Amino acid sequence: MKVVIEQWHAVAAWQWDMPEDDMCGICRNPYDSTCSKCKFPGDDCPLLMGECNHSFHMHCIYAWLQQDSSQDKCPMCRQAFKPKDAASTELE
Amino acid sequence: MLVAKRLQKELVKLNEHTPPGITIVSTENFQEWLMDIEVLDGNPLYQGEKYRLKFVFSGSYPIEPPEVTFVKDATHPIPMHPHIYSNGIICLDLLDRQGWSPVHNVESVCMSLQSMLTGNTKNERPPGDDDFVRRNTQRPRDISFLFHDNSV
Repeated sequence: MKVVIEQWHAVAAWQWDMPEDDMCGICRNPYDSTCSKCKFPGDDCPLLMGECNHSFHMHCIYAWLQQDSSQDKCPMCRQAFKPKDAASTELE
Repeated sequence: MLVAKRLQKELVKLNEHTPPGITIVSTENFQEWLMDIEVLDGNPLYQGEKYRLKFVFSGSYPIEPPEVTFVKDATHPIPMHPHIYSNGIICLDLLDRQGWSPVHNVESVCMSLQSMLTGNTKNERPPGDDDFVRRNTQRPRDISFLFHDNSV
């Protein structure tokens, strides 16, 4: 018996390459979810990792760094927060 | 809105597990919570007492710190401590803009205050307490504290 495929519909699942039960320390939502303002996870609400290896939703860490009182420090370790080079943080 | 989402998560977690000596008193809205703390290590200054904390959240929590003060009523005194004024205002860098971090939360603030009391041996108020309590009309968030004592 021959089957002819006339149409197919691919479905894929994705997640950030991060520990599964981990969450953003600022909004306390999982990394695979969004910051508190966004509706759609993924490229619209990406993660940002610092050179200190602490990660947050980009929108969350920007909201913090915009405050003068943050003194541009990582909320976790209080070292200067500098985004890690994009090439070295390839998130899948 | 953002505040509510974050506090809702904190509340779920606190309802699942509250650390020893910490009790939720009221969390009816996402602007003001009351929490009770006890010092459990037998420090004679605080033995057998419960202290009531009031958390007031701005619309920018957790980017901005909550305003946290001790509240006095018939059954809840203000703990004696060289960094706690007799009107309940607390001088702690963690609660000030300069020392706050958005990864802190209600639970971690309660635990920090517990440990601040645990480590204290001085049965005294901050210098100038009478004067400060009589004259201060500012909200805690608007006071510029000078954090000069790193020993407590």
